[in-house]
Amino acid sequence: MPEQQALSFGLQIQPQPRMVSIVRRFVEESFEKLVGDSDAVFRVSLAVHELLENAAKYAVGDKTGLSVYFEASGRTASVKLTNQATPEHIARLRACIDEIQGSEEPCVMYQTLMRRTFGIQEESGLGLARIRAEGELDLSLEIEGSTVTIVASCMPSGRRHHV
Amino acid sequence: MCRDWAETMKENDFAAQATASDRRIQVSLTGTADLTVKCQLDRFLRDIHSEAQRCLAEEVTVDVRQLEFMNSSCLKSFVWWIGAVQEQVGDGRYRIVFVSSPTVYWQRRSLNALACLANEIISIQA
Repeated sequence: MPEQQALSFGLQIQPQPRMVSIVRRFVEESFEKLVGDSDAVFRVSLAVHELLENAAKYAVGDKTGLSVYFEASGRTASVKLTNQATPEHIARLRACIDEIQGSEEPCVMYQTLMRRTFGIQEESGLGLARIRAEGELDLSLEIEGSTVTIVASCMPSGRRHHV
Repeated sequence: MCRDWAETMKENDFAAQATASDRRIQVSLTGTADLTVKCQLDRFLRDIHSEAQRCLAEEVTVDVRQLEFMNSSCLKSFVWWIGAVQEQVGDGRYRIVFVSSPTVYWQRRSLNALACLANEIISIQA
């Protein structure tokens, strides 16, 4: 694929646990054929997996919208996941993303959340922190009534870091 | 000394095997560790920890070279296990060695993150 070209697609799927790995593999296999940067493909597919699992666990309703945009260079990418959620879950998501994005050190925040999850089973936000630390993607939230969209997108190159 | 001990589990395309002898436990994980196998993985790691405690294991080797992907829920299972080992004192403590593949992208980042939790007991072989 020439440097300036981009590939994008959208899917409407049921947020079921068994669908998550199927969709991640589809994203990996599709983009690997088009983008030379395997690490960038992995980071995007990681975001797809973790966001879809969040939807499988917490979404209300039977439809989740997934859209993925990827530039051939691997420098620009975004993953958007839209679903219905309860007000309580939206409030938790907002707090979690504010905390993760508010940290200047994504890897330190990731480690902190890992330690915090020790011995607890409930919602921890670890998947979102993983997207930011391991996936090197920024997170943002768009809310419209009970519809919530989580966006994971590429960081500017100056802010890249490694776990 | 560990008696001969073995445990296996298979769920969807995820499979796990463990064998023990001479105070060493060998674990092999293959396939995909995602939400669909989280409960089984929790149980499997608890069993390994119990056996390691029982036989005063010195080292548990976890071969993940054929593990295509691990999600954050399953990483939490490993966080629990690492925390449980850290809580032990004396002979109850053992080392965890991850055997990884440089060609499986999640492994470098995720295993490094796990190792940072407990450098004193975790090492990674690539």
